Amino acid sequence: MKLEVDRVSKHFGATAALDGLSLHLGEARVLVLIGPSGGGKSTLLRVLGGLEVPDAGSVQVNDHRLSADPAFLQAYRRRNGFLFQQFNLFPHLDARRNITLPLEKVHGHDPTAARELADQALGRFGLLEHAAKLPAQLSGGQQQRAGIARAFAFSPEILFLDEPTSALDPEMTAEVLELIQELAEAGQDIILSTHEMGFAKAVADQVAFVAAGKIEECQPPGRLFASPDSPACQRFLSRVMRY
Amino acid sequence: MSRRQQIANALTAVALAGGIAWLCTAVLGNLGRETDWAKAWQYRESLWIGWWLTLKISLGALLGSIVFGLLFLLGQRSPLPVLRRTCRLFLEFVRDTPLLVHLLFGYFVIFAPLLSRPLADAGFEDKILIGGLLLSLFGGAYLGEILRGGVESIPRAQWESARAVGFSPVQVYRHVIFPQALRRVLPAIAGLFVSLIKDSSLLSVIGVSEYFYNTKNFIARSYAGLEGYVPLALGYLILTLPVAWLSHWLEKRFRHET
Repeated sequence: MKLEVDRVSKHFGATAALDGLSLHLGEARVLVLIGPSGGGKSTLLRVLGGLEVPDAGSVQVNDHRLSADPAFLQAYRRRNGFLFQQFNLFPHLDARRNITLPLEKVHGHDPTAARELADQALGRFGLLEHAAKLPAQLSGGQQQRAGIARAFAFSPEILFLDEPTSALDPEMTAEVLELIQELAEAGQDIILSTHEMGFAKAVADQVAFVAAGKIEECQPPGRLFASPDSPACQRFLSRVMRY
Repeated sequence: MSRRQQIANALTAVALAGGIAWLCTAVLGNLGRETDWAKAWQYRESLWIGWWLTLKISLGALLGSIVFGLLFLLGQRSPLPVLRRTCRLFLEFVRDTPLLVHLLFGYFVIFAPLLSRPLADAGFEDKILIGGLLLSLFGGAYLGEILRGGVESIPRAQWESARAVGFSPVQVYRHVIFPQALRRVLPAIAGLFVSLIKDSSLLSVIGVSEYFYNTKNFIARSYAGLEGYVPLALGYLILTLPVAWLSHWLEKRFRHET
């Protein structure tokens, strides 16, 4: 994927979540956003995913120049997949229906085709036996995997994952990260934010360090984790890698 | 239950039964000789017509209040401030004044002068239609508030997820928000519907000859007491109990589901 983000700002009340942020990426398959909480990772991800409209600046993702037009953004969102920290699934629908409903209503598949696609996705992520369960009956890790299965079933152009394992215990974190890595290795374009540095190192083509609403540094992981250029990134890494 | 609780329970049961028995004996002893159930049988046709009309008005008001309730919900969530404020003002007025006043004022001051003649010309009973409309507006005002509460109680993450999978705004409501919100407010809606059925008896003040009105006439003409009031209560119970049962059943079903 290609990204052209130019001087993008986004304010919530008096706080600037994004403060003239720019990012130019020619070619990357997996972009990982790291940085302190409240630094703007989520907001950047939401802007890139078409869930939030910036106050200023321009964003281009592949060939799509993002506009503020609701109809454009809705069509853009349909092309991509988005996963939040938690509560992604619709609690009144079972796992399979969570996947088939958007396939039918958004992507226009007939019920049989939607069911087939859903079962493929569930089967691939080892969830087929849980297809008829409601989200409340699934573990946190299974819920996130089902959420990824839902996003993945549309064959998304880009998969956006906003701290997908932050609400999970270590074991469930591992099961979700393994799945994301598998998708990345299969060629899926992914942009994700995470606090799992080991995972970022293993899976990313490019790692961007986001702090105070700006990209402080964007490098391949080998470079960024071994010898970060910016002092802020050095401080951040030395602190999070200590334990 | 512990042994002590069992004893306390038994004693309370005896005391309650004794109290109720005493009350019944006292009341029935007072009017015992004059009670004549044949009177109610004599007036059965007028009572039946009234009950049937109450059923029809109640059903109409239920449907009408759903329509108005949805409109008020949309009005209150409208992006236009003037629409939101007007809705708010109207709902506040309706909720904070008695239904009896709406019926009297709404019928005699607002709608009768405007609509009675054309409705009568078109062959309709203006009192029933206008009364039903006023009752629907009243129920709709409460339903609008109940629905707004339900919709606003759905967490942000659900709205976001629904948007993220690409649903249009209408689809977000239709497939994600309403199904969850309705489950939460079902008991409140059932309570409102039961109230609406009972409140339809107030239409008697504008002269709609529904169940209460006809029963009152029957009592006035025949000097009936118990023979009038017992069927009156039973008639309303027949209408309200199914709604209450249905809501309990749905509630239980949804509780197992989530």
